[in-house]
Order: sequence, then structure tokens, then C-alpha cells
Amino acid sequence: MSAPGRGGLLVGLAAVASLALVFIYLAAGGASYEPAKVQDPCKPRPWRDPEGLEQLAEQFSLSALDGAACKLGVSRETLARALATPQSRERFLERYGIDNAELARAIRAGLLRAVDDAERAGALNPLLAAPLRATLRRIPLDQAIELVQDARSLLDNLQGFLGPAEGLLENLFR
Amino acid sequence: MSAPPRPRLAALAIAVGLVLADSSIVVLALPQIYRDLDTSVAGVTWVLVSFNLVMALAAVPAAHLARRFGPGRAAAVGLAIFAGAGVACGLSAELSTLIAARCVQALGGAAAVTAVLELLPASVGSERRAVAIWATAGATGAALGPAAGGLLTELVSWQSIFLIQAPVAIAAGIPLLAVARHEASTSIISTELRRTGRPHLLANAALALVSSAIAAALFLLVLLLIEGWRLSPIGAAIVVSAMPLAALLGSRVGPGAGSERARAAAGAILVAGGLGGLALLPSANVALTLPPQLLVGIGLALVLSALTETALLGRAPQAIHGGWTISARHAGVAIGLIVLTPVFTSDIARQRRDAIDAGTAVVLDARVDPLLKLQLAQRLEDRLEGERGKVPTIGPVFEPLPTDPGDREDVVTLREELQDQLDRAATHAFSPSFGVGALLGLLALIPIGLARRVEL
Repeated sequence: MSAPGRGGLLVGLAAVASLALVFIYLAAGGASYEPAKVQDPCKPRPWRDPEGLEQLAEQFSLSALDGAACKLGVSRETLARALATPQSRERFLERYGIDNAELARAIRAGLLRAVDDAERAGALNPLLAAPLRATLRRIPLDQAIELVQDARSLLDNLQGFLGPAEGLLENLFR
Repeated sequence: MSAPPRPRLAALAIAVGLVLADSSIVVLALPQIYRDLDTSVAGVTWVLVSFNLVMALAAVPAAHLARRFGPGRAAAVGLAIFAGAGVACGLSAELSTLIAARCVQALGGAAAVTAVLELLPASVGSERRAVAIWATAGATGAALGPAAGGLLTELVSWQSIFLIQAPVAIAAGIPLLAVARHEASTSIISTELRRTGRPHLLANAALALVSSAIAAALFLLVLLLIEGWRLSPIGAAIVVSAMPLAALLGSRVGPGAGSERARAAAGAILVAGGLGGLALLPSANVALTLPPQLLVGIGLALVLSALTETALLGRAPQAIHGGWTISARHAGVAIGLIVLTPVFTSDIARQRRDAIDAGTAVVLDARVDPLLKLQLAQRLEDRLEGERGKVPTIGPVFEPLPTDPGDREDVVTLREELQDQLDRAATHAFSPSFGVGALLGLLALIPIGLARRVEL
């Protein structure tokens, strides 16, 4: 083979090897290997069918986080980390230039959205939703944060209240 | 009159390899320097950039000095400066003194490397062979540098990288003392100065572009392995050894395989293809870096030797034209690093945020006990604060694992999902920079292609 022919072959082989590598890696998912995108907290998130109090509480907390994050204009994930400790909460307030009152308003709004979501999903009796909303509108910040982090105690108390209340209503409207 | 040819030839090759290894030898030590000297990624990059920038600026003036005062003397003095500055680098306790010492080291290195090119033809009896040895020694040094630096960092310390260079440089300089003494006893050098021909602009432009691409491959891959995938320096050194091994394979492709231009074009395409592969890694798996490294290694051997030969052969004086190639290569490395550093530091910051959000989403949506979630979120937040600015190590967040087998399985699954998100973020953070590197490699094809029609 002539010298130009050998040179052309060398360049051709280099191009084929390079393109083959790029296409193989593309086919293996190289263009989409990136972290999962977080969901917009303002968009409704479907409730998984809760089984028992624990899962109901979890769904309630996640809905509350979404609602509060939507109100503050941050991601649900950012807010969850901010509420992890008093120090992380302080850092969050400083970073986003908001105060405790604004945070409290956002978390209360989040809890109200969780009540709406729970009611819509059929997980919360509509008779209890109205008094619950009234309570949540006045709840202090620290208690609101505790509820977002673990709503089990709230829902436990509600379930304890639900049995007699349903019985009372049934008697009244019979 | 002078040292016997064989030890002197070895000394000359070692001098070139040692100095040119220095442009990349600290790559694997950068994460350690970054932590020890408490600086930023952008700051620590200047340990590399400063050396390459000064080499680029000093190579041609140093070559003129070597011609005026004698290459033997210039090489011996250059190696002595290189050794002394290396000791100063090793003793530096602050980033500013380390960078200053690196600049001085580059001045000595520039004098030594360009002077050696003037001495080599007398030792090997042929200009073509001298150029081939000079180019091979340089490419080998540059390719072996990161692995050697990684081993020293892990086994001893990052300071040892510089301290160990001093005795090697002095040993390489000893056989040159006889040449220097001979030059001192005669005055033939200053009267033999010839008119300097024009440098080969297109070959040097291609060298600059392809060198910036190769710097991207080495520098970014090492950072990905150590900072992104959490490999130890020695582990990363073993992984990136694939590149010099492939370069050895590439160096066996001689002129018989095609003209200098064909080899240069093939090499540039392979470097670009390898970087393209690194930009599209489909998972955080060390084995997947090997095919791209193979392409980059073979490519760099082909393109560097072909372009250096094109730039030097038939051009006199050799030291000056060698100075231009050194200048082009190191300018390429420095510009590549200066261009790429802001790209990947901003990408790392953005991907870190995305990884943390994605990881938090995994924790929130996981089917584990809400109280355990809360504890994990708290520990994760502490970890993130403790490792501010880096991709965090999340293993300790999950310790101790729950004793209940069911909970334990859920938490292990959660840990794996979280680690997957961090790996995705770390890998993805480097993709745009590898992509820019691939583009630089492809751009080198323009001057290589133009050189086909334009004879300078």
C-alpha cells in the first residue's frame, strides 16, 4: 500500500474507533446519566394508597412539605433539610432572607394543603377536616414543624376522636 | 571533553522526561494539596497552570540564552534551578509560596529542555533521531507523570513529589558538567549563532490545541476519580496508568503507518473520541474509563510525536524551534486549564446541589420509618455542612444500620439509591468539560488540515 493510502487508512481507523466508542456509550445511556430531577412542589403529587397510620402520616407530612415549599418558592427537598435541626433552619432563614413568621405562615399553608390532599384522597373524614384546618391555622411554628416531620401523633389523636364522633353523627342524623 | 555518549544520552532523555512530567505530575496530588493548604479548586489549579504558563513564556527566550551561553551550561544551570525550586515546592506551607516556587521551577525546566535539544544531535548522530528521542522522552514523561505523582502522594506525601525530583535532576545534570566545562573553555558558541528560521505556525497551533485537550483528559479524569468517585490517589494512579500504557502502544506506530500529517490527524481524532467517551460515561464504573483512555493514550503518542517532528525537522536552530513547541504545548495546557476550570467548578457546584436534592428526594420517598428518615435527614445535613463544596461521602450517615432485618434491608436499599444519585451527579458534572476537551481536540484538525496545503 502507498504511503498516502496507509495514512488514509490510519485516519479512517481512528475515526471509526472514536465514533464507535461515542455511539456505544450513547446507546448505553451516557447522555442521560444524571441525577433525578426534583418535582415542582406546587404541582399535585399523587397519594400512594396508605396502609395504616404510619403511611398515612408519611403522606400527610410529604404533602405538607410540598405545600410549604411551594409557598416559599423552594424545593420540597431543600425545605426538608432546612427543618432537620434548629441550626439548619437558621441557615435556611439567613440564606433565603425570610423570618420565622413567614416560615410559620408557609408551614401552616403546607399543613392545610395536606388536609385538603388527605380529604381528596379519602384518607381523612370530611367532618374532621374543618376543625382540623381551624386548629392548624393557629398552630405555633415549632409544633407545626414537628407535625411536618412526623404527623403520627396528630393522626393518632384524630383517629381516636373519629370513632365516637362518627357514632354521634350517625345518632344525630338517623 | 565530554561524558561518554550513552550515560549522557540517558541523562539528556531523563532531563526532558523529568521536566515535562512536571507539567502533569501534581495532578493526582491536587486534591491532597487542596485539603492541606485549605484552598479552593480554582486556587489549587494554579499549581499546574503557573508551571505551564511560565514554561510557555520562558521556553523560547531560554532557548536563545542556551544558544548564546552554550547548551551544556544552560542545561546544567537549568537543572540546578529546577532541583532547587523543587525543594522549595516540597517545603511550601502556603499556596502562594508553592505557586511561586513552581514558576521558578518552570524557568529552570525551560532552560534545560530546550538546551537538551541542541545537545542531542551530537549524542545520537542524527537530527531526526534526536528529535524522535526528545519528543518520545517528553511524551513519556508527561504521560507517566500523573501515575508517579499518585503513587508518591499515597505512599509518602504530595511534598515528596517535588523533593524526589531534586536528586534526579542533579543526577541528570552531572554528565552535562563536562559539556559545560568544555563550553566555558572555548568561545565557539557565541560565534556560531545562526539566523533563526520562522517557527512552524500550524504545527505549533495544533500542538497547543491538542495539548489543551490532553490536559483536560488527564486533569479532569483524575479529579473525577478522586473527588467524584472517591478513589484513593494510588487507586486513581493505577486507573490512569492505562493512558501511558496506551501511549506506549501508540508510540510503536511509526512513520511507516503514514505521513506526519496523517499520524497527527489520526492522533487528534483519537484524543477527541476518547474525550467524547469520557463525556458520555454511562455509569460511575472505573472500567468504563479504560476504552476512552486507550484512545486518548494512543492518540497523544501519535499526535505529539508527529507534530513535534513536523515543527522541528529541517529547521535550525533546533533549540529555538524546540522552544516554540514547548511553548505551544504548555500554553495549550495552561489555556485549557484556565478555560476549563470555571466550567467544571460551576458544574460541580450545580451538580452537587442537584445531587443533594435528588438524594433528599430518595430519602423522603423511601419506605422507612419516619423517625429514622428524620434522623437520616439530620445526619445528611450535618454531613453536607461538614463537606461543604464537595460531593459528600454518605456511608457514615447510615451507620449504625438498624438491627431489624426488614428495616436493615430498606436502609441498605436507600443507601444504594442515594449513592447512585451522588455518582450520577459527580459523573455528570464533568461531562461538559470533557466535551469541551473533545472539541479542542477536533479543532486541532484545522491547522493539521491546513498544513497539508500550506508549506511554511
